[in-house]
Amino acid sequence: MAQETDFRRELIAIIPNLRAFAASLSGSFDRADDLVQETLVKAWDKQHTFQPGTNLKAWLFTILRNEFYTQMRKKGREVQDVDGVHAMQLAGHPEQQGHLDLQDFRKALEMLPDDQREALILIGASGFSYEEAADICKCAVGTIKSRVSRARTRIAEILKIEGDGEFGPDSISSQIIGVAPAA
Amino acid sequence: MEERDDKDDAVQTPNADRPVDPWLGLGHNTAIGKRLKAYYDDVASEPVPDRFLMLLDALDAAESGSKKSGDE
Repeated sequence: MAQETDFRRELIAIIPNLRAFAASLSGSFDRADDLVQETLVKAWDKQHTFQPGTNLKAWLFTILRNEFYTQMRKKGREVQDVDGVHAMQLAGHPEQQGHLDLQDFRKALEMLPDDQREALILIGASGFSYEEAADICKCAVGTIKSRVSRARTRIAEILKIEGDGEFGPDSISSQIIGVAPAA
Repeated sequence: MEERDDKDDAVQTPNADRPVDPWLGLGHNTAIGKRLKAYYDDVASEPVPDRFLMLLDALDAAESGSKKSGDE
């Protein structure tokens, strides 16, 4: 009984992170909360399969991500059709009015391929290690690293961010691709 | 790839205020790291909506309800 209460409390503590991840995946706040709801129901149903002491947050992120891609596959065309609506919904978020910087960043994120965007979020915002992110995305650690790196380079290009600390996009991409920076 | 264990890391990098992995430059003090965090926290800093608390209450109630009837 006490364990169930703990499980509930820990779920609640992770909900804000789940919502942020879901919003970045789906590009829509309404859809994000539907995804979180599905995730909570699924997590509750199979809480007996969760190994206490392991990473509950990673477990929940995995469920949410699976749910998202399952839905995408089920209604792929439908999702594509509303693509144009995504940006509008995001722009319409009340807290967003006036945050031009954040708006631009949001748009830049939207332009990334799904796999790069999720890797960037998991590592750069959700606070997962590369190993955890690789588990969540069911791919190799090196794959996560290269996705994050490409995402970061692309975002820097889109936003025309220069001199981004001592590890600027040019030095990163040249390390990876092995070519000299273009400019 | 670059497998490092924690011990080596602690010895070689006194990295309290450094990005987790400088090679990728996603630390919160970089332009992109900062924006990424702001983007994420915009949602993650909101209080948990009531709909989720009510959902968990309902799941909890449904479960204890079915347990009770199962016991009898």
